[in-house]
Amino acid sequence: MPSWSDFEPFIVSGLALGGVYALSGVGLVVLYRATGVLYLAFGAVGAMGALTAWSLGQAGAPGWLTWLVCIAVAAAITLAYGVLFGPALAKRDPLVKAVATIGLTLILYGLMDLLWTTSGGEARSLTLPSDNGGFSVGQIQVNWTQVIALGAGVVLTVGTGLFLRFTKLGTAMRAMANDREITATLGVPVRRVEAAAWLGCGVLAGIAGLLLADLVALDATTLTFLVISSLAAVLIARLRSITITFVAAIVIGLLHDLLTPITSLTNYRDMTPFVLAAAALLVMPRSQVMAQSREEA
Amino acid sequence: MGADLSLRNTADRRTSRRRPARPQLIKIATITVLLLFVLFGFPQLLSLYYIDTMTQVAVYSMVTLALGVLVGWVGLVSLGQVAVLAIGAWVAARLLFATTQPYPVVLLEAGLITMVAGVLIGLPALRLRGLYLALITLMFAGAITVVLATLNFPNGGHGFTGYNGSLVHIPPIRRPSIASSDPAYFRYSVIVAILMFLLVLAHTKTKPGRAWAAIRQSEPAALAAGINTTLYKLWAFALASFITGVAGGVLAGAVHYLYSIGFPTQDSITLLAVTLMGGVYSMWGAVVAALLYQFLPALLNNWGVSADWLTILFGLGVLQVLTTAPAGLAIEIVEEAHPPPASRLQNNLTRMGHCLAPWLSSLVSCPKPNTSS
Repeated sequence: MPSWSDFEPFIVSGLALGGVYALSGVGLVVLYRATGVLYLAFGAVGAMGALTAWSLGQAGAPGWLTWLVCIAVAAAITLAYGVLFGPALAKRDPLVKAVATIGLTLILYGLMDLLWTTSGGEARSLTLPSDNGGFSVGQIQVNWTQVIALGAGVVLTVGTGLFLRFTKLGTAMRAMANDREITATLGVPVRRVEAAAWLGCGVLAGIAGLLLADLVALDATTLTFLVISSLAAVLIARLRSITITFVAAIVIGLLHDLLTPITSLTNYRDMTPFVLAAAALLVMPRSQVMAQSREEA
Repeated sequence: MGADLSLRNTADRRTSRRRPARPQLIKIATITVLLLFVLFGFPQLLSLYYIDTMTQVAVYSMVTLALGVLVGWVGLVSLGQVAVLAIGAWVAARLLFATTQPYPVVLLEAGLITMVAGVLIGLPALRLRGLYLALITLMFAGAITVVLATLNFPNGGHGFTGYNGSLVHIPPIRRPSIASSDPAYFRYSVIVAILMFLLVLAHTKTKPGRAWAAIRQSEPAALAAGINTTLYKLWAFALASFITGVAGGVLAGAVHYLYSIGFPTQDSITLLAVTLMGGVYSMWGAVVAALLYQFLPALLNNWGVSADWLTILFGLGVLQVLTTAPAGLAIEIVEEAHPPPASRLQNNLTRMGHCLAPWLSSLVSCPKPNTSS
């Protein structure tokens, strides 16, 4: 059994990872509540943005421009998908809407593999300048990227909560989560509100892609499927509460990294989201889910 | 209502006992001729490269068949079917190295063990709505990739895992003695696949098929009609896992050597894409899907075209299938395009569901859920 000091650095990296999962999870929940779409391409658009940013960086573009491009690419793809396919699928089952985003995932995945081929064994990396600076808490080194990651998770969760409660657009999104038809009847421009939700989700996907490319790896497959961790958090929150999403995401990130020094479990740490989500499903009462499905019917 | 339903059931059964009508005979004859051609013509006509490819098509047609049952008949979506296939292949490989049991016995055992694993995974999610199953199976696929990367596929070593990293001469996974050559093993795979198709046919034509159709139409209505929805969903999931497990066993012999990188998470979602493109309401859809999934890449590989184009094509295919919903290709039911055997029962259930749904939902949702977040 490793000693406490072995765990210390992983607390920081785990919290940073959890922060990014949290901001991804919040993006997913808000989009799901507003449009009924569980956006499975979240990781793929982030990866697309990050890889585009990498290419720009290689071409000599300044750092801040590449970060903006990363976010813009993810936001643009997400918005385009939402505007093109959102209305066509608006009245379908949430399952159909989620499966449709798998189509987008595959398109992006194929494109990324074509444009940034991995077979050459060329390792890419995206580093933010905030990696270099930092401070230490006791024995633990903390770099600014980790602070930004956790900070972004906290700020965006709180910010989104406030946005949904106090702004007109946020109120409209909450209304649409309850009933799209009635909201439309009351004069809310539902398509514009949905487009706003798509755009917001896309921006978050871009930010998450940028941070994860730095914190984890710049690799199309890894980034595309890191969304699984956020999905686990979203599932534990039953696709509704952003507070529970935040807590679950932090726990998943933290637990994942804290397993690293334990030799017998370190290889299995990537199973954390699955194990936690399955455990959450076991204790989830059926009645609540049936009630929810009526709401969405 | 209940009496009415049971009367209709007996009527259905009586008609199905009658001698098959002429068009049906023609259909059966056509299929038989086609199968005979595949079994005896293909090995004569095709090069070894394409015979191997067609063996893979036979294997994956079982997997897409299983996924098609879930998606098309019950309305469940699994995003982790390749992970289930990997479990089947792992179990079969382990048994083939450890024992001298005949191949069909190993296939059966692989299927049954995979079935147990599938049921354990599906059980928590099957009580809930479909979206949860899709999510948990996607996570499962990711988790299995992790486990396989650590555990590795058996390569003739000892112990539970059967893996020995320091082996120099890795023995190939054995094939049945009657089908050791590639053409013979191709025939063997096709015959196993036919058996699996018949197994599914036996389910869809009888009580489980009707129960599944009712669940797909409306779960509350099926519940109201006295169908044990969790049991039948679990049954479908168990059947799909069994078939996929058997397919894994056939795959083990087909390729001789198994590697954990051969079962990545993304393959599970590609598999769902091709299954949807092939069509989930007809068993031919499974064959079409398997051809898309295995034959097209082999063809493109032969022409020197990157398989990434295919991934993009599959992505576009999913979007096209789901948005324009061509007959029999989408998840949602197009009643006119696809009257399944239980269509009359289904119509009744839908009608009943419309009457009962408001009442039922008021029953299950006592506290109004808080929707403020």
